[in-house]
Amino acid sequence: MSTETGWVGERSLFGHSLRRIILYAVLVGMGAFYLIPIETGIMTSIINPASYTGSFPYLPPLEPLVPNTGEFSLEPWQGAIDGLGQGLVNSVILVVPATILSGLLGSMAAFGLTTIDWRGQIGIYILFVAGIFIPYQAVLVPLTQFWYNVVPLQAAFQPLAALPFVESYHWKLVALIVTHTAYGLPICTLLFRAHYKKLSDEMVEAAQLDGASVATIYRRIILPLSIPMFAVVFIYQFTQIWNDLLFALTIIQFGDAAVVTQDLVGIGVSQSGTNFPLRMAAALLAALPTLLVYVFFGDKFAKGVAA
Amino acid sequence: MAELTLDGVTKVFTEDDGNEITAVDEVSVDIEDGEFLVLVGPSGCGKSTTLRMIAGLETITSGEIRLAGQRINEKPPAERDIAMVFQSYALYPHMTVRENMSFGLEESTDMAEAEIDETVEDTAELMEIEELLDRKPSELSGGQQQRVALGRAIVRAPEAFLMDEPLSNLDAKLRATMRTELQRIQNDLDVTTVYVTHDQTEAMTMGDRIAILDDGILQQVGTPLECYHTPNNRFVAGFIGDPSMNFFEMAVDDDTLVIDRFEYPLKPAQQEAVAGRSHVDFGIRPEDIRIKDPGGLSDNYQFEVTVDVVEPRGDENTIHLTFDRSVDDPVTFTATVSGLRDVSAGDEVIATFPPDSIHLFDTDTGVAVHNRTFDSEDATKQVL
Amino acid sequence: MRNPLTVLRRRLSKHRELRADGGTASQAGSILDRDSVRSAPFWLPPFLLVGLFIYGAIIWNIVLSLTNFQGLGSPDYTALDFENYVIAFFGGTPSWSELTVSPIWNSAWNTVVLMVSFSVVCLALGLVLAILVDQEIRFENTFRTIYLLPMSLSFVVTAKFWLYMYNVETGLVNLLLGSVGVGPVEIVQNPDLKLAAVAFALIWQFSGYAMIVYLAGLRAIPTSHFEAARVDGASTLRMYWRVIIPQLRTATVSALVVLTVFSLKAFDFLFSMYGGYQPGPSADILATRMVREAYANGNWAYGSAIAVILFLMALAIVTPYIYSQYKRGEL
Repeated sequence: MSTETGWVGERSLFGHSLRRIILYAVLVGMGAFYLIPIETGIMTSIINPASYTGSFPYLPPLEPLVPNTGEFSLEPWQGAIDGLGQGLVNSVILVVPATILSGLLGSMAAFGLTTIDWRGQIGIYILFVAGIFIPYQAVLVPLTQFWYNVVPLQAAFQPLAALPFVESYHWKLVALIVTHTAYGLPICTLLFRAHYKKLSDEMVEAAQLDGASVATIYRRIILPLSIPMFAVVFIYQFTQIWNDLLFALTIIQFGDAAVVTQDLVGIGVSQSGTNFPLRMAAALLAALPTLLVYVFFGDKFAKGVAA
Repeated sequence: MAELTLDGVTKVFTEDDGNEITAVDEVSVDIEDGEFLVLVGPSGCGKSTTLRMIAGLETITSGEIRLAGQRINEKPPAERDIAMVFQSYALYPHMTVRENMSFGLEESTDMAEAEIDETVEDTAELMEIEELLDRKPSELSGGQQQRVALGRAIVRAPEAFLMDEPLSNLDAKLRATMRTELQRIQNDLDVTTVYVTHDQTEAMTMGDRIAILDDGILQQVGTPLECYHTPNNRFVAGFIGDPSMNFFEMAVDDDTLVIDRFEYPLKPAQQEAVAGRSHVDFGIRPEDIRIKDPGGLSDNYQFEVTVDVVEPRGDENTIHLTFDRSVDDPVTFTATVSGLRDVSAGDEVIATFPPDSIHLFDTDTGVAVHNRTFDSEDATKQVL
Repeated sequence: MRNPLTVLRRRLSKHRELRADGGTASQAGSILDRDSVRSAPFWLPPFLLVGLFIYGAIIWNIVLSLTNFQGLGSPDYTALDFENYVIAFFGGTPSWSELTVSPIWNSAWNTVVLMVSFSVVCLALGLVLAILVDQEIRFENTFRTIYLLPMSLSFVVTAKFWLYMYNVETGLVNLLLGSVGVGPVEIVQNPDLKLAAVAFALIWQFSGYAMIVYLAGLRAIPTSHFEAARVDGASTLRMYWRVIIPQLRTATVSALVVLTVFSLKAFDFLFSMYGGYQPGPSADILATRMVREAYANGNWAYGSAIAVILFLMALAIVTPYIYSQYKRGEL
């Protein structure tokens, strides 16, 4: 059809219909490339480990209909929940406050360094931005020293352990919350600052003339206008902190406070070999919160990473 | 009663590299109670900075600003009893019109909620925006946002209004309507108003008086007609009026001004004004130049010229004239003639520069040494 | 007629609060009125947190790298020397150990190889994907979502998936190779393939990020540029090569910086892939070496020294970037 090219705009590399078929084939092929490791994981995670052969890891378990595909079973997921349960709980205890704190403090910092305009703030801000790019190895040893030998957090935490739902090992999670808050601040500040730079200066001045103090301007003008950015920042921070292993490894190290990424590293390996169904189920279970967030708020996630 | 006084107000900005820039230099104006003063000048002339100093959004380097006789230099913006309307309107986008108008009362008074509501509604009625009260700014047209911005300023019952190019975001037609509307409201409320614009037409049509700023220095304060007919200097003469005044730099030869293309005889009073100078800038407004068909020169104020370009404007035409088209760098000037007059490029015509309409300026300083004949009493009577 | 403003004024006059606080405009006023000070409650606490945890820790780490700290008791700050750096560059037996410690060249080399191959392939793939997605295709959102999906995963999860994909007997990669008559090949523990396998898995995870950045860059180019090139008679490929890609410089630089820093942080991936601190010499990067020295071998000060080297590498990449951003007023 000659009209086929009509709706293809100026940007198009692929004017003809044959070219467009190739285009879509490539796009779908790349989609398969990104999805197959996950798809294989899902299929394997619902195979009864006893019937697992590994011959067709990408097929659903259809035994006895299709031989060698394994029998369907939720046993691996049960095993993953048992193995990661404690880690999941710890991760939630860690991620929720750390995400909210870093977002809130990041918004405050960006407000103080952007909306309220003063000389020299750019210098302070550069220190924030540079913090985004620090390889965390450069601070690990001092961090371990700080939380284990300088701050008597463990001792200070003992009396609190008497409270309901508080365990003595939670001090490690508190240390990790503070650490993640501090290291999340640079990116949060950057995201909020980009947003606040777009807000009208005149609006802030109008509020000043209306008699609003700096705190009131933040609370009544800036904060309500930041809600879309909070969604972006919270999603980004949630993903980052949930997925982190390095800080957990060096601050929690081992024990009851271990978070889900730590638990995941060793799961599914035993003397008798690797239990792939269990391992895949565990990987998917650990990834589930971030995957769900991504599937439901993908556009906001994209906005966060592209900033 | 609130008269607003600017007394030697100066603003010096220090740049990051330590350079100092004087944005506003020793500006002094007395604005009477209820007066509408328009602060006009090209962009970067310091007019906005001056307004922001009055508002308290910018510190004052030296000098004093008094409102109703009281020094307000150190007062924070909210306590100055001043309201401001911004170029972008600066409405709070997440609040309804009602909340926008209540905000200032909530933050700067201890009024009860019910009383705030009543005050807001009364003001909305005055501004004819009652039915917009529960809408968000994004649901309003430009003109409606403009009214809300005015309403938000009025509801706080300030002693003085400051307006920073409030009409520049509107399209031309709405701008003309709002211009009249603003004047009416200002007149009804009888409130001291300082209005900043770069548009000299706005300044001429709206102000009780206009203050012209250039490069941070106040050039002239006066009624629009005073500034138009008796400019203090060449800058004011060129800035006010559209199309601009024509200028020729001419040599003084006793009782005559001389330039390559023409000579102009001076009246005795004019001779006196230029006495002792070797050069002056000769100025004449396009509408003062009279054009007639060729047919001999009847006096020394007439010159044979050629039409270069005609810009029709409907009611009148702006025509660009030249003494000699053939030279590379011809002396050209503009004149306005009735739109009904039929002229076209290439026509030979005779231009008259009437001697009572000319302005003479010092070439070096630009100061006016002689202005056209103008009786402000007469002019005022004519306007009224 | 009564002036409505007078009525309002009378009503308001009873309610005006006389406030003494919160001056904005008083240059002669106290230092407390400055904007930097009035906004301090907002920026100062976050700044202190960042200052203490990031910059304080970096400085402390530099000092620690000059000690002989091995984890017992507290570090001895009285005898500072550059021994750890000498060991890091030349190897040998340090004064704090009886064992010979190898220099970092191997892991530094691996770091650079991983960094360059990973970043370059990610950028190239991301650019191609971005151009394809920018062809006014249907289901654009779906494709974009799928391409960026791996980015939402943890390094640890990615490692588990690819450990499975690379498995000799049951991995999909070997099944595919087998179907064309190759293999099975040992990948994960094969010294020749290790680093490539790691890079490949990371490219799978992060090329979607490069696509998103490029796509934003492409969308920022006005359609008139595409049209102008068309009118000039440029072929499609030439148009992209001469007109469009040069305009993606900013996108390339910012994606490159972020990807490079990601690759410096690839520790989580390697730790998870190899189930601990020992990825083996052919996949050892500075990030893993540093953590292994400090946390597995107890050579804390030596680990700090490696961390300083890693930090300087990151600084060398990031400083010009931030400086150019600052110069262009984009901060």
